[in-house]
Amino acid sequence: MFLTRSEYDRGVNTFSPEGRLFQVEYAIEAIKLGSTAIGIQTSEGVVLAVEKRITSPLMIPSTIEKIVEIDKHIGCAVSGLVADSRTLVDHARVECANHWFVYNEDMKVESVAQAVSNLAIRFGDSDDDGPAMSRPFGVAMLFAGIDKTGSHLYHMDPSGTFLEFGAKAIGSGSEGAQQSLQESYHKSMTLQEALKVALTVLKQVMEEKVSGTNVEVAAVTPEKGFHRYPQNEVETVIADL
Amino acid sequence: MCSEVQSAQDYMRDPRKHYFSPYMDNGGTTVAIAGEDFVMVASDTRLSRGFNILSREQGKVFNLTPKTMLASTGCWADVLTLNKVLQARLMMYSHEHHDTMSTTAVAQLLSTMLYWRRFFPYYVSNMLVGLDESGKGVVYHYDPVGHMEKLTFSAAGASVSLIQPFLDNQVGAFNMEGVDPPKMTKELARQLIHDSFVSAAERDINTGDGIIIYTITKDGTAEEKIKLRMD
Amino acid sequence: MSILAYNGGSVVAMKGKNCVAIATDLRFGVQAQTITTDFERVFEVGPHLYIGLPGLVTDTQTVLQRLKFRIKMYEMREGRKVKPRTLMAMVQNLLYERRFGPYFVEPVIAGLDPVTKDPYICALDLIGCPCEPADFVVSGTSSESLYGMCETTWREDLEPDDLFECIGQSLINAFDRDALSGWGAVVHVIEEDKVTTRHIKSRMD
Repeated sequence: MFLTRSEYDRGVNTFSPEGRLFQVEYAIEAIKLGSTAIGIQTSEGVVLAVEKRITSPLMIPSTIEKIVEIDKHIGCAVSGLVADSRTLVDHARVECANHWFVYNEDMKVESVAQAVSNLAIRFGDSDDDGPAMSRPFGVAMLFAGIDKTGSHLYHMDPSGTFLEFGAKAIGSGSEGAQQSLQESYHKSMTLQEALKVALTVLKQVMEEKVSGTNVEVAAVTPEKGFHRYPQNEVETVIADL
Repeated sequence: MCSEVQSAQDYMRDPRKHYFSPYMDNGGTTVAIAGEDFVMVASDTRLSRGFNILSREQGKVFNLTPKTMLASTGCWADVLTLNKVLQARLMMYSHEHHDTMSTTAVAQLLSTMLYWRRFFPYYVSNMLVGLDESGKGVVYHYDPVGHMEKLTFSAAGASVSLIQPFLDNQVGAFNMEGVDPPKMTKELARQLIHDSFVSAAERDINTGDGIIIYTITKDGTAEEKIKLRMD
Repeated sequence: MSILAYNGGSVVAMKGKNCVAIATDLRFGVQAQTITTDFERVFEVGPHLYIGLPGLVTDTQTVLQRLKFRIKMYEMREGRKVKPRTLMAMVQNLLYERRFGPYFVEPVIAGLDPVTKDPYICALDLIGCPCEPADFVVSGTSSESLYGMCETTWREDLEPDDLFECIGQSLINAFDRDALSGWGAVVHVIEEDKVTTRHIKSRMD
């Protein structure tokens, strides 16, 4: 391994002779250390559910925030280096606000993913604003939202690649979770079903016992826009699993 | 010989200031009336500069999208530049967002673009017309620095003060007790626009020569040309 | 801004079938500030004869006083009332006397000829250049709007009631788009056997 990758995994914009960017690949590996996050898109809206790793009983679980609001019609779940995600989330929020300012309309989910991707792949550039970033962002994101073309779920990884999914899992449990999602996902799912599936899958892949405090759940619907599920509602669903 | 004497004295004369005005008024009038499922927009075809006529066949309405048109009068250079920049922004939007812009989005974009030049404005009176997301006709009226008003009928340009009160009265049914505004049909809109321009051409030298009327419906845009007095 | 627009105000006159109408707004202001809303700037100066004096109000009052003086002198000397066209000549003369220091008023005259009963309308500029068209005349800060309104709404041979509607709608819709005129209107419809004066309410902003 060291033999094949030596020297070519230092610079963030240097290809290896095999045509690979190792720093980007390492960044993608970093996601696999992150907590699991799941998104499911339905015709009624999109659900986001993430695992919270409570590493100490003295930790206040509510301060972990891995699902954030981008705009009233778009939410975002992150996994990986959460600190890195703040920059990207800020960028997404600014893009949405600017789109509203210039066009007086909600930004499309795809356009938000595109805008964030544009920032994510700028790690190699240096320009008037300053020197190049030292490394790619070590975070994967799920953009869930509703726009004039319907409800959408987009996934973006540290390479800046973004793709639309019906259901997607990221983070440490993502392989198993993605397998489970493929088995239970169907296009005519209701939002409630999707919520249940998301928590069922989380329950399967989480090391801790799933509870109202160690998961974070949110949804985007046409009626309410982005909204979080309060702890008691999450607990009701968990009790039904 | 005389000029030699003059030039010899040139440097002895008092210093003189020379001014350049970046703006010019090229006249032109536009009128727009919206209906439930259509919008009609028209301009005269005269382009003028002071007492001179630069063109008798210059329309002032531009196509932006299949559902949106822009009517601009004022400084013709600014009209052309604004239009070009706007077309570019529309193209960029369609590439970035894989969609043509809605009329409401273009309306906001235009307002924003005009305000960006708050301290060196485009000297242009704009009316943006089109069908909104529900297919209804809308008219947006702007001042040169981007103040925007959504209306169902409006006039702009050289003869605005002659035509606007007439539209207030005949389209808006202002100042008439117990009279409801008429249901706007294409026939009525066309007649009112025609009458507006005929009267404006009668009294305003910056308006005349011809009218071009565009009607935007869900099926597309129709064009009609009408002659006006040419004096 | 022109001193003619210092106080605001507009007047319009129209010909009809055996009748004429003259109408004015009621605003008296100082630039953007409205002082009173009951200032009539159309005055009766003879039988079937009215003059409107939009412009600088101090000159409106002075011109009116001097004109009344000259009309009385005329009536005493000639032993008869002034005809509309004679009034026009008097106003023309009065204004042109101040060719290089003019009164800032642009008068409008409307009346019926006492002999022929022909409708007469006329507008003069501030140095007395007259204009006697066959249809309508406008003057004051709303003149552009009035041109647009009158040009579209005026028809030949309107009956007195129709003429009232035409001139009323023309004036009100015109001055509603002018910040310096409005706040109510007065219309005089002059017929051979009577003069009907109507006060019209309009938006007060």
